[in-house]
Amino acid sequence: MPPGAAELKFILPSDSRFLPVVRGAIGPLAEVVGWDESECTEIKLALDEALANVIRHAYHNRLDGRIELICRASAEGLEFTLLDNGDAPDKSKICAREIGCDKPGGLGSHIIKDVMDTVCYEVSATGNRFVATKLLRRTI
Amino acid sequence: MKISVRDAGEAKIVEVEGDVDLGTSPDLRRTLFDALHRSPKLALNLGAIRYIDSSGIATLIEVLKDSQRLGKEFVLFGLSPAVQHVFRLTHVIRIFQVFNTEQEALGTVA
Repeated sequence: MPPGAAELKFILPSDSRFLPVVRGAIGPLAEVVGWDESECTEIKLALDEALANVIRHAYHNRLDGRIELICRASAEGLEFTLLDNGDAPDKSKICAREIGCDKPGGLGSHIIKDVMDTVCYEVSATGNRFVATKLLRRTI
Repeated sequence: MKISVRDAGEAKIVEVEGDVDLGTSPDLRRTLFDALHRSPKLALNLGAIRYIDSSGIATLIEVLKDSQRLGKEFVLFGLSPAVQHVFRLTHVIRIFQVFNTEQEALGTVA
Protein backbone atom coordinates (compact mmCIF):
# COMPACT_ATOMS: atom_id res chain seq x y z
CA MET A 1 0.00 0.00 0.00
CA PRO A 2 1.47 3.42 -0.93
CA PRO A 3 2.53 5.70 1.94
CA GLY A 4 -0.41 7.73 3.20
CA ALA A 5 -2.96 5.41 1.64
CA ALA A 6 -5.58 3.73 3.78
CA GLU A 7 -8.86 1.90 3.40
CA LEU A 8 -11.47 1.90 6.13
CA LYS A 9 -14.52 -0.31 5.86
CA PHE A 10 -17.69 -0.17 7.98
CA ILE A 11 -20.60 -2.57 7.91
CA LEU A 12 -23.45 -0.83 9.68
CA PRO A 13 -27.14 -1.34 10.35
CA SER A 14 -29.47 1.42 9.16
CA ASP A 15 -29.61 2.74 12.71
CA SER A 16 -28.91 6.43 13.28
CA ARG A 17 -27.19 5.66 16.59
CA PHE A 18 -24.18 4.55 14.54
CA LEU A 19 -23.83 7.90 12.76
CA PRO A 20 -21.65 9.43 15.52
CA VAL A 21 -19.38 6.37 15.31
CA VAL A 22 -18.69 7.04 11.64
CA ARG A 23 -18.33 10.78 12.20
CA GLY A 24 -15.79 10.02 14.90
CA ALA A 25 -13.61 8.24 12.36
CA ILE A 26 -14.07 10.40 9.26
CA GLY A 27 -13.01 13.73 10.73
CA PRO A 28 -9.60 12.40 11.85
CA LEU A 29 -9.19 10.50 8.56
CA ALA A 30 -9.69 13.71 6.57
CA GLU A 31 -7.22 15.45 8.86
CA VAL A 32 -4.58 12.79 8.15
CA VAL A 33 -5.08 13.27 4.40
CA GLY A 34 -4.38 16.97 4.84
CA TRP A 35 -7.52 19.06 5.17
CA ASP A 36 -7.90 21.78 7.79
CA GLU A 37 -10.45 21.66 10.60
CA SER A 38 -13.14 23.51 8.67
CA GLU A 39 -12.80 21.25 5.63
CA CYS A 40 -12.75 18.12 7.83
CA THR A 41 -16.03 19.27 9.37
CA GLU A 42 -17.59 19.68 5.93
CA ILE A 43 -16.39 16.27 4.71
CA LYS A 44 -17.72 14.62 7.87
CA LEU A 45 -21.06 16.40 7.40
CA ALA A 46 -21.35 15.42 3.72
CA LEU A 47 -20.75 11.75 4.46
CA ASP A 48 -23.14 11.88 7.41
CA GLU A 49 -25.81 13.32 5.09
CA ALA A 50 -25.24 10.51 2.58
CA LEU A 51 -25.61 7.90 5.33
CA ALA A 52 -28.71 9.63 6.69
CA ASN A 53 -30.24 9.59 3.21
CA VAL A 54 -29.75 5.81 3.03
CA ILE A 55 -31.37 5.35 6.45
CA ARG A 56 -34.33 7.62 5.66
CA HIS A 57 -34.99 7.05 1.97
CA ALA A 58 -33.58 3.60 1.15
CA TYR A 59 -34.58 1.87 4.39
CA HIS A 60 -37.38 4.25 5.55
CA ASN A 61 -35.93 4.37 9.10
CA ARG A 62 -35.96 0.58 9.49
CA LEU A 63 -33.14 -0.41 11.82
CA ASP A 64 -32.14 -3.69 10.18
CA GLY A 65 -30.94 -2.57 6.75
CA ARG A 66 -27.34 -3.26 5.75
CA ILE A 67 -25.03 -0.39 4.85
CA GLU A 68 -21.48 -0.90 3.68
CA LEU A 69 -19.16 2.10 3.74
CA ILE A 70 -15.70 2.02 2.19
CA CYS A 71 -13.41 5.01 2.69
CA ARG A 72 -10.29 5.12 0.54
CA ALA A 73 -7.66 7.67 1.45
CA SER A 74 -4.69 8.55 -0.72
CA ALA A 75 -2.30 11.44 -1.31
CA GLU A 76 -4.84 12.80 -3.81
CA GLY A 77 -7.81 12.81 -1.47
CA LEU A 78 -10.71 10.69 -0.27
CA GLU A 79 -13.24 8.45 -1.98
CA PHE A 80 -16.36 7.23 -0.19
CA THR A 81 -18.47 4.34 -1.45
CA LEU A 82 -21.82 3.51 0.16
CA LEU A 83 -23.67 0.31 -0.70
CA ASP A 84 -27.17 -0.58 0.42
CA ASN A 85 -30.02 -2.91 -0.52
CA GLY A 86 -32.90 -0.58 0.15
CA ASP A 87 -35.19 1.31 -2.20
CA ALA A 88 -33.49 3.09 -5.08
CA PRO A 89 -32.99 6.85 -4.70
CA ASP A 90 -35.46 9.08 -6.52
CA LYS A 91 -33.05 11.04 -8.70
CA SER A 92 -35.68 13.68 -9.45
CA LYS A 93 -35.53 14.72 -5.77
CA ILE A 94 -31.75 14.99 -5.53
CA CYS A 95 -30.79 18.69 -5.28
CA ALA A 96 -34.34 19.60 -6.36
CA ARG A 97 -34.72 22.08 -3.51
CA GLU A 98 -34.23 25.73 -4.37
CA ILE A 99 -31.16 27.07 -2.55
CA GLY A 100 -31.95 29.50 0.27
CA CYS A 101 -35.69 28.79 0.31
CA ASP A 102 -37.65 28.12 3.52
CA LYS A 103 -38.61 24.51 2.79
CA PRO A 104 -37.31 22.13 5.47
CA GLY A 105 -36.48 19.14 3.25
CA GLY A 106 -33.82 18.45 0.64
CA LEU A 107 -30.88 20.19 2.29
CA GLY A 108 -28.71 17.09 2.58
CA SER A 109 -28.13 16.44 -1.12
CA HIS A 110 -27.11 20.09 -1.61
CA ILE A 111 -24.57 19.80 1.19
CA ILE A 112 -23.13 16.64 -0.38
CA LYS A 113 -22.89 18.26 -3.82
CA ASP A 114 -21.35 21.47 -2.48
CA VAL A 115 -18.73 19.75 -0.34
CA MET A 116 -17.65 16.86 -2.56
CA ASP A 117 -15.94 17.18 -5.95
CA THR A 118 -17.77 14.31 -7.62
CA VAL A 119 -20.96 12.53 -6.61
CA CYS A 120 -22.50 9.54 -8.34
CA TYR A 121 -25.67 7.58 -7.57
CA GLU A 122 -25.98 4.18 -9.25
CA VAL A 123 -28.72 1.57 -9.05
CA SER A 124 -28.20 -2.05 -10.04
CA ALA A 125 -29.74 -5.44 -9.45
CA THR A 126 -27.40 -5.91 -6.48
CA GLY A 127 -28.40 -2.67 -4.77
CA ASN A 128 -27.65 1.03 -4.60
CA ARG A 129 -24.18 2.47 -4.87
CA PHE A 130 -23.19 6.01 -3.94
CA VAL A 131 -19.66 7.19 -4.71
CA ALA A 132 -18.28 10.59 -3.76
CA THR A 133 -14.76 11.93 -4.02
CA LYS A 134 -12.99 14.88 -2.49
CA LEU A 135 -9.66 15.93 -3.94
CA LEU A 136 -6.93 17.54 -1.91
CA ARG A 137 -5.84 20.79 -3.50
CA ARG A 138 -2.34 21.51 -2.35
CA THR A 139 -1.05 25.08 -2.28
CA ILE A 140 2.60 25.53 -3.28
CA MET B 1 -27.73 15.63 23.06
CA LYS B 2 -29.10 17.41 26.13
CA ILE B 3 -32.10 19.75 26.01
CA SER B 4 -33.49 21.95 28.74
CA VAL B 5 -36.34 24.43 28.81
CA ARG B 6 -36.79 27.38 31.15
CA ASP B 7 -39.06 30.38 31.44
CA ALA B 8 -37.95 33.98 30.98
CA GLY B 9 -41.01 36.13 31.50
CA GLU B 10 -43.52 35.21 28.82
CA ALA B 11 -40.81 33.59 26.74
CA LYS B 12 -39.42 30.08 26.84
CA ILE B 13 -35.71 29.52 26.43
CA VAL B 14 -34.56 26.19 25.02
CA GLU B 15 -30.93 25.20 25.52
CA VAL B 16 -29.37 22.43 23.42
CA GLU B 17 -26.01 20.80 24.01
CA GLY B 18 -24.15 18.18 21.97
CA ASP B 19 -24.87 16.65 18.56
CA VAL B 20 -28.08 17.22 16.58
CA ASP B 21 -28.38 14.59 13.86
CA LEU B 22 -30.89 12.22 12.30
CA GLY B 23 -31.10 10.26 15.55
CA THR B 24 -31.48 13.17 17.96
CA SER B 25 -33.33 15.83 15.94
CA PRO B 26 -36.78 14.24 16.60
CA ASP B 27 -36.28 14.92 20.34
CA LEU B 28 -35.33 18.51 19.60
CA ARG B 29 -38.35 18.84 17.32
CA ARG B 30 -40.74 17.55 20.01
CA THR B 31 -39.29 19.89 22.64
CA LEU B 32 -39.41 22.95 20.40
CA PHE B 33 -42.97 22.34 19.22
CA ASP B 34 -44.11 21.71 22.78
CA ALA B 35 -42.44 24.91 24.03
CA LEU B 36 -43.77 26.93 21.11
CA HIS B 37 -47.32 25.85 21.79
CA ARG B 38 -46.99 26.78 25.49
CA SER B 39 -45.59 30.26 24.98
CA PRO B 40 -45.94 33.22 22.61
CA LYS B 41 -42.15 33.58 22.45
CA LEU B 42 -39.48 30.95 21.95
CA ALA B 43 -35.73 31.57 21.95
CA LEU B 44 -33.28 28.78 21.14
CA ASN B 45 -29.72 28.85 22.45
CA LEU B 46 -27.44 27.16 19.89
CA GLY B 47 -24.18 27.99 21.65
CA ALA B 48 -23.39 24.52 22.97
CA ILE B 49 -24.07 22.54 19.80
CA ARG B 50 -20.99 20.65 18.63
CA TYR B 51 -22.55 19.24 15.48
CA ILE B 52 -25.74 19.78 13.51
CA ASP B 53 -26.83 18.17 10.25
CA SER B 54 -29.55 18.99 7.73
CA SER B 55 -32.21 17.22 9.81
CA GLY B 56 -31.45 19.66 12.63
CA ILE B 57 -31.64 22.65 10.30
CA ALA B 58 -34.88 21.27 8.83
CA THR B 59 -36.29 21.04 12.36
CA LEU B 60 -35.52 24.73 12.95
CA ILE B 61 -37.22 25.65 9.67
CA GLU B 62 -40.31 23.60 10.59
CA VAL B 63 -40.58 25.34 13.97
CA LEU B 64 -40.07 28.75 12.36
CA LYS B 65 -42.86 28.12 9.86
CA ASP B 66 -45.19 26.88 12.60
CA SER B 67 -44.41 29.95 14.70
CA GLN B 68 -45.32 32.18 11.75
CA ARG B 69 -48.54 30.24 11.21
CA LEU B 70 -49.46 30.67 14.88
CA GLY B 71 -48.45 34.34 15.03
CA LYS B 72 -45.69 33.60 17.55
CA GLU B 73 -42.00 34.43 17.60
CA PHE B 74 -39.08 32.03 17.24
CA VAL B 75 -35.57 33.41 17.45
CA LEU B 76 -32.07 31.93 17.63
CA PHE B 77 -29.10 33.15 19.61
CA GLY B 78 -25.49 32.33 20.48
CA LEU B 79 -24.79 30.28 17.37
CA SER B 80 -21.76 28.01 17.89
CA PRO B 81 -19.14 27.85 15.10
CA ALA B 82 -20.51 24.42 14.10
CA VAL B 83 -24.01 25.84 13.64
CA GLN B 84 -22.75 28.92 11.78
CA HIS B 85 -20.81 26.64 9.44
CA VAL B 86 -23.85 24.56 8.50
CA PHE B 87 -26.04 27.64 8.16
CA ARG B 88 -23.51 29.02 5.67
CA LEU B 89 -23.49 25.76 3.73
CA THR B 90 -27.28 25.57 3.55
CA HIS B 91 -27.89 29.29 2.84
CA VAL B 92 -30.89 29.45 5.18
CA ILE B 93 -29.67 31.80 7.90
CA ARG B 94 -31.46 34.77 6.29
CA ILE B 95 -34.88 33.29 7.08
CA PHE B 96 -34.20 33.33 10.85
CA GLN B 97 -33.92 36.12 13.39
CA VAL B 98 -30.46 35.55 14.88
CA PHE B 99 -28.92 37.30 17.90
CA ASN B 100 -25.63 37.10 19.70
CA THR B 101 -26.96 36.91 23.25
CA GLU B 102 -30.01 35.82 25.19
CA GLN B 103 -30.63 39.42 26.27
CA GLU B 104 -30.69 40.59 22.68
CA ALA B 105 -32.93 37.71 21.67
CA LEU B 106 -35.40 38.43 24.46
CA GLY B 107 -35.31 42.13 23.71
CA THR B 108 -36.73 41.43 20.33
CA VAL B 109 -39.61 39.42 21.69
CA ALA B 110 -40.51 41.57 24.71
